Amino acid sequence: MQRVIERILNLLAFLLTVGRPVTAEEIRTTISGYGQATDEAFHRMFERDKDLLRRLGIPLELAPTDGWQVEHGYVVDPETYALPDPGLTDDERAALWLAAEVVRMGGQVAAPDAIFKLGGAPVTGSGEPLAAALSEGSDDLGTAFLAIAERRHVLFGYRDKPRRVAPYGLVHRRGHWYLVGEDDDRTKVFRMDKATDVRAGGHPGVFERPEGFRAADAIPGAPWEAGAEDLTAKILFDPAVAWWARRQIGNRGSTAETPDGSLLATIPVANPEAFIGWLLSFDDAAELLEPTELREQLLALVRGEV
Amino acid sequence: MTSTRTAQRLNRILAMLPWVIANSGASVAEVCERFGYTERELAADLDLVFVCGLPGYGPGDLMVAYIDDDEVIVELADYFANPVRLTPPEALSLLASGMALISTGQAPEALETAVEKLQRVVLGDDGDALVVDLAEPPFVGELRGSAASGEVVRIVHTAIASGQTTERDVEPWAVFTTMGNWYLRGHCRMAEAERVFRVDRIRDIEATGETFTVIPRSLEPEIGYTPGAEDVRATIVLRDAARWVADYYPVEVVRDGGDGLVVRFSASDPLVVARLLLRLGSAADLVEGEAVAATLEELRSKILASYAPD
Repeated sequence: MQRVIERILNLLAFLLTVGRPVTAEEIRTTISGYGQATDEAFHRMFERDKDLLRRLGIPLELAPTDGWQVEHGYVVDPETYALPDPGLTDDERAALWLAAEVVRMGGQVAAPDAIFKLGGAPVTGSGEPLAAALSEGSDDLGTAFLAIAERRHVLFGYRDKPRRVAPYGLVHRRGHWYLVGEDDDRTKVFRMDKATDVRAGGHPGVFERPEGFRAADAIPGAPWEAGAEDLTAKILFDPAVAWWARRQIGNRGSTAETPDGSLLATIPVANPEAFIGWLLSFDDAAELLEPTELREQLLALVRGEV
Repeated sequence: MTSTRTAQRLNRILAMLPWVIANSGASVAEVCERFGYTERELAADLDLVFVCGLPGYGPGDLMVAYIDDDEVIVELADYFANPVRLTPPEALSLLASGMALISTGQAPEALETAVEKLQRVVLGDDGDALVVDLAEPPFVGELRGSAASGEVVRIVHTAIASGQTTERDVEPWAVFTTMGNWYLRGHCRMAEAERVFRVDRIRDIEATGETFTVIPRSLEPEIGYTPGAEDVRATIVLRDAARWVADYYPVEVVRDGGDGLVVRFSASDPLVVARLLLRLGSAADLVEGEAVAATLEELRSKILASYAPD
C-alpha cells in the first residue's frame, strides 16, 4: 500500500504542476515508482492508479498533446481539482459530521472521507439516540445529482422504456428517492430505485430549469395525491380511529368532528387506487360516502370482483 | 481494483496536507483529532509524504513533512494546498444527510448554515434542486430527549394490526426513521423485553419522572423483523401490478414464474396479510395460508356490513 501511495503522490504532484498533457510513456519514464515495470505490469499498475485517482474525485482527463491530435496525454486541471472553499466554521463541520453519522444512505455507515476534504472535524455523534435511513444512496443517485448540478441530461431505462430527461431536482420523500425532470416536454417524476442503467449525458449546460421551479412541490405528500384524477371524497371515520385519520390527513383535506366523536373528512383525490388502498387500512372503521363511483370501486374490490 | 483502505489513506493525506499548509503551527493533537489519526498513523503518513515530490526527486524536489516538537511541519508541497473537490456521491450524501436531520427539527443551528454554504458551492443557485423530507410525527423530539437523558416514558400506543390501544412504560433507547416511517426502540416494561413501536401510532406520551441507566449501544436504523415461531405464514402470487409488494414487505421470494412472482409472507398477525390482499384485488392471489384466508373473508364481510344500508 505504501508504494502505491508514494507512486500516486508523485504522479499527482507532477500532473498538477506540469501544465500540459502528459503521455503514459512519459509518465512511465519520468515518475518514480513506474520505471522498473515490464510493459504489461506498467499497464496494469497505471490502470489501477487512474481508477484510484478518479475514485477520489480527482479530475484526470485525456487531452491531445499537440494541434494534430495524433497523441493524447493525461491532464489534471488544478482549478477543477480544488474544492471551492465553502467557508465552513468548525461548528458547521462538526454539525455536518453529526448529520452524516445519524443519517444513513442505503444502510451505509457514513465514511469520513468527505468531511476530511472539508477540513476534518472531531468525531461527535456516537451515542446519539437518533438515526435515519434514507433509501439506497447508490452511484446512480450520484450520477443524477451530478447531472442536475451540471445541467446535463440523465439517460436511463424506466418501465422498459429508454428515457432522456432534463433533471430539475432530486427529492427524498416517504422513504424513496424521486427524480423530477422534463421528459417529452412534460415535467415527470421517476422513482430512482426503478431506474436502470443510469448515465449522465455528455454535455453540460444543455437545459435551463424553469424559473421558480420547486422540486419539493413536484412530489405529493400522500400517495393518493399522485395521479391525474380530480375527485373530492367524503369519508366518515369511527371515533376510535379519528385521531389516526386526522394525523394522516393533516392539511391535505378538511375535517370536522361529529357529535358522537366520528370524523367527517373531505379529501381531494388524484389517484383513486392509492386512496382506496389507504382507506382499506381502516378495515370497517371508515366509510367512503362520496363520490358514488369511488364507493362502487371500493365495494367491488371488497367483494372480490376486481 | 485498489483496496478501499488505500483509497481512504490517500484521501486522508490529500485532505490533511492542505489543512496543515493553511494552519501552520498546528499541533499533532489537533491534526489527529480533526482527521481521526493516531499519532503513529500521522507520523507514518508524514514519513511517506517526505519521500515524494517532483521528478528529479532530490532535495528541493521532495516535499518536506515532519513533526517538530509537537508541531506538524509541511513545506514545499504547495501543489497540494487545496483539498480535492467532492465527488457527486459525497456531495449528495453530505447535503442529503444534513437536510434530513434539519427536516426532523432536531438539528443544531450550525447545520443549517453549513448546508446552505455547501449547497452554494455544489449546486450554485439551484439550492432547492435537492429536497430531503423526513415528515416527522409528533413526539420524536421528546422521545430523543428522553433517550439521551435516560428518562422512562409512558406511551399510549395503538397497534397497527390489532387496533388495540395500550398504555405502557418504556425505557427509550433511540428513535429512528426508515422506509418513510419513524420508530421508537426501547425496553418495554410491560412486555419485559425489547420492542419497536411506530411513532405515528403513539397517541400520547408522558414523562414518568423515573430514570434508567443509559447504555451506549450500536442502534441500527432497521426494524430487524425476524419471523417468530408463532407467526402466520402465507404464500402469495404477485402479478405485475402488485410486484412492488416485494420491495415494501419482508417477503421471501420463492420463484419468479410465468404466473407472477411467488413470495412467502410472514407476519405476526394474519390481518396484515389479509389487508394487503384485500387492496391488491386480482393483482395477487393467496396460494397457501388458511389463517390468512379466514381472516380475509372475515374482513370482507365486516366491511360490506358497515356499508350495508341500516
